[in-house]
Amino acid sequence: MTILAIENLHVEFSTPFGAVYAIRGIDFTLAKGDILGLVGETGCGKSVTGRSIMRLLDDNARITGGRIVFEDVDLLRLTDADMHDIRGNRIAMIFQDPATALNPLFTIGEQIMDVLRAHQSNGHGGLKVRAMRLLADVGLPDPAQMMNVYPHQLSGGQQQRAMIALSLAADPDVIIADEPTTALDVTIQAQILDLLRKLQRERAISVLLITHDLGIVAETCQQVVVLYAGRVVEKGAVEAIFASPQHPYTRGLLAALPRPGSRGSDLQVIAGTVPSGLERIAGCAFAPRCDYVMDICRRQQPALSFINSAHVSACYLHEMPKDD
Amino acid sequence: MTEPLLSVHDLSMVYLRRAGLFGRRAQPIRALNGVNFTVGAGETLGIVGESGCGKSTLARCLLRLLRPSGGGIQFDGEDLLALKNEDMRMMRQRMQMVLQNPFSSLNPRLNGFELVAEPLRTHTMMSRKEMVDRVVTLLAEVGLSAEFMSRHPHQLSGGQAQRIALARALALNPDFIVLDEPTSALDVSVQAQIINLLLGLQRQRGLTYLFITHDLSVVQHISDRIAVMYLGKIVEETSSEAIFANPQHPYTQALLSSTPVPDPAAKRQRIILPGSVPSATNPPAGCAFHTRCPQVMDICRMRYPASRLVARNHRVSCHLYEESA
Repeated sequence: MTILAIENLHVEFSTPFGAVYAIRGIDFTLAKGDILGLVGETGCGKSVTGRSIMRLLDDNARITGGRIVFEDVDLLRLTDADMHDIRGNRIAMIFQDPATALNPLFTIGEQIMDVLRAHQSNGHGGLKVRAMRLLADVGLPDPAQMMNVYPHQLSGGQQQRAMIALSLAADPDVIIADEPTTALDVTIQAQILDLLRKLQRERAISVLLITHDLGIVAETCQQVVVLYAGRVVEKGAVEAIFASPQHPYTRGLLAALPRPGSRGSDLQVIAGTVPSGLERIAGCAFAPRCDYVMDICRRQQPALSFINSAHVSACYLHEMPKDD
Repeated sequence: MTEPLLSVHDLSMVYLRRAGLFGRRAQPIRALNGVNFTVGAGETLGIVGESGCGKSTLARCLLRLLRPSGGGIQFDGEDLLALKNEDMRMMRQRMQMVLQNPFSSLNPRLNGFELVAEPLRTHTMMSRKEMVDRVVTLLAEVGLSAEFMSRHPHQLSGGQAQRIALARALALNPDFIVLDEPTSALDVSVQAQIINLLLGLQRQRGLTYLFITHDLSVVQHISDRIAVMYLGKIVEETSSEAIFANPQHPYTQALLSSTPVPDPAAKRQRIILPGSVPSATNPPAGCAFHTRCPQVMDICRMRYPASRLVARNHRVSCHLYEESA
């Protein structure tokens, strides 16, 4: 069952150099209880997508088209007050740097109890008991003592756990996690990813996991959406896409990763650079860097075509007759 | 094996952190605590570890940007710590460093030519004409055209800026380069380009690298040998192949199993370590890893395990292997 659907979303930023097209029409759906990975390199629009869903875009950004449907309601049509209710209560967001998202002036306990009070989420026991239960749920040691500490007294991993506890306080249905482990060490990253999987399993929370790391997607997500220059190039079930990537960009990304056993050999590279957001792109955005580019790729944007029921990719190669 | 180009023995570095009112209390931080290794000419040694393990302090001590508190560093037969400042300045022509973020290591006011020519200006008597020729050659070597001479850092992408930083490091024909997380700030496709460039330069110039990173998949690709650090000590050191095929130290095993692999079909045993790295101001007694180790024994809390050879070219500091020895 779909809980969140992004339909033909377009987002522009106005800058002194002209309009920057950050999102050029993307579609995907998050199924209830799934972890969906939104993956791509710098500037592909993955974070802008997350912020668009929360309607937390900067002032110079404008959503120029499309819908964001959460349980049959288009979030883009809600009043600010109604959106405020959705944010936190139904959809929560966690960020790369928890130190800037937590309030440095209040203890962890005060911040969580604030959210519990504001959202009046149903639960048993007093505010303090419920806050401590949340801290225990996210694996923070000694919750009673944690209630009284300030964010700066915690390590990076503990801050991210506190941030997750805070986002759970309102009992949301969806969590948008924007690079939640990028600032953390690998052993701490493993703890946080394990926690996200546990929350998904035990609370049936749906997670949109925004990341640049294909390894994290492979280990954590059920579904994946690969973005390039503000468009979806490939999406589907994680097993299908990693076992048999179809789009030349996805293939290039996977081939560029160093792997055990390849020591000292040259890695495969993707020639060229990502197009500027200032450009209007008529054809496939990846065409200038693609090894298989054809005339049509430069003229007309390829639609997403089915590889199989669990896997779609936007490339004209899929429409070519196969040799074998 | 011939003499190593670089050998480090029992290196330690203690910082004093001022604490308390007006900094009257000084807290010692043990960033390096008896580090030993060697790097042969033309070889790449990878140093892997998480934040606070001392890997960047190690880099700074090697180039004597920091004065180590104890131990010794031999570079090509010279005792670096005994060199006079002027002699060390000459020695740095042969030892260079490339940092993680080129935008903070490159002066934003200088253009590509000035950035790459700066070491030539301070260390050689080249004429302007010679310098231009040399800079053009260096830029070509790192895959940039001559037009980058007029670009300033803010006009460069992350990958291009890192290439400028490399050209600058190569300007004086060094033998040895310390690479401190050189690809960590880059996207995957750009990271691959820089790794290929580093491998190519090493082949052509016979460079020796010390490659510092937290990323195991990158380090195994570029290194001949890998040393794993935890809280100021090397806990395991062996060939790049053996670290992956046969990791011995429980920390190395956990580090490997925590590194995400881009293959959902890989069914791996996940070792998730509890807690985080203890503070270097107050390191645990015995083996510093005992607070998180899944296989901790009583002795680990009391005594630091000596470094043992468990196989050819494979050193581990762990009581698990002392028992069997």
